[in-house]
Amino acid sequence: MRTRNFVLVPLIGLLGACGGPQTSQVNNPQANTSNESRAEDQAAASNLEARVSVGDAAKIMHARHEGMETIGKDFKALHREFDSPTPNLALVRTAAGQIAGLSRQASGWFPEGTGPEAGKTGAKPEIWKPENKADFAAKLAAFQRTAAAFNATTTRGDVGAMKTRYADLGGACKACHDKYRTEMHH
Amino acid sequence: MSRQISHGDAPLSAGRAAAQPVWDLPVRLVHWTLAGLIAFSWWSVHNHHTDWHIWSGCAILTLLIFRLLWGFLGSSTARFSSFVRGPAGVRDYLRGRWNGIGHTPLGALSVIALFGAVAVQVGLGLVSEDEDGLFTGPLSGLVSIDASDTARGIHEFWFENVIVPLIVLHVAAIIFYRLRGKHLTKPMITGRAIVDPATKPMRPAKWWVALICLAVSIGVVRWVVAGAPPFGHWTPPS
Repeated sequence: MRTRNFVLVPLIGLLGACGGPQTSQVNNPQANTSNESRAEDQAAASNLEARVSVGDAAKIMHARHEGMETIGKDFKALHREFDSPTPNLALVRTAAGQIAGLSRQASGWFPEGTGPEAGKTGAKPEIWKPENKADFAAKLAAFQRTAAAFNATTTRGDVGAMKTRYADLGGACKACHDKYRTEMHH
Repeated sequence: MSRQISHGDAPLSAGRAAAQPVWDLPVRLVHWTLAGLIAFSWWSVHNHHTDWHIWSGCAILTLLIFRLLWGFLGSSTARFSSFVRGPAGVRDYLRGRWNGIGHTPLGALSVIALFGAVAVQVGLGLVSEDEDGLFTGPLSGLVSIDASDTARGIHEFWFENVIVPLIVLHVAAIIFYRLRGKHLTKPMITGRAIVDPATKPMRPAKWWVALICLAVSIGVVRWVVAGAPPFGHWTPPS
């Protein structure tokens, strides 16, 4: 378990290094300037209204898929650590930081035209329905807020607080996935 | 559990035998609870209640361990030694050379297949984790993340390609026997069936043996749910 984690930390770092620049290239300027205070502002938290070309849509969907996959891997690694009585805090900090960073990039992951009509994706078309846009933006903002809050707790040594914030983050992931992600999306 | 008292749902009219005990209460309870929990497990995981799905799996594990113990200590018709037969036994049954109560040699194959398939399914679930890392099985900490993901993949495959076909076969067999005039569902509810008076009657087990089996199975599952310490630790979903 412990030796696995030593392998996992650089691996996750590597994934971030690969996904990072590629992801920011396809994000629109609005997304790149978004930060935690912007995340509080639900209207600015996502680029749902933006329209993208077909080529950009493919790039964004790829970045979104890679980003979500990395977040999932980080979240699984974190779950192992928090199930353990002696979590590896270095690994926790690395994973939490990466999730927080990707959550900010997620602002640029859902422009109009990147739904199932554009290709294989787990994103439901409901995301872009007018009646859901505010709700989806609020859920994305909650993801960014809880990811930042969790990341902040990991700089201190209180594992109990980390677990609470980690659970909040998981709740934010689940609330959005339950409603806006299809079950069969591999 | 089932006492051999002389009452039955069939009237004791001349020329007709009374319904005799064939299934004890633990066998019937395990059967229907298992059926209900399998349905609930399927529903809950497809309706965003993965936490309930995990608890349902733990309850199924309890039933499996109980039934395994009951297969050695239970009433005569519950015991593996009374119904597990080799190919020769199955052949004899198919040629009409079998007379008894409890599982037929062919039905026993179905019981073993279902029991084994559900045991594999529970085992896979114990070490699985969900796609997002939100939920882990109690023993997932004993294996790598990749192994957990692989286990989840097989867990899904196993349900669709093994468990469901076996359930379909099970229900189809019951319908087949029903069309041939043999009722199997009612005895699994009441525990009694009209049997040939010459048949050796069911030998019931003591009720307190069932309680001991239940206590042991709950104890083992309690340990599993803790993550099987000292080998692992598990924090249940809140």
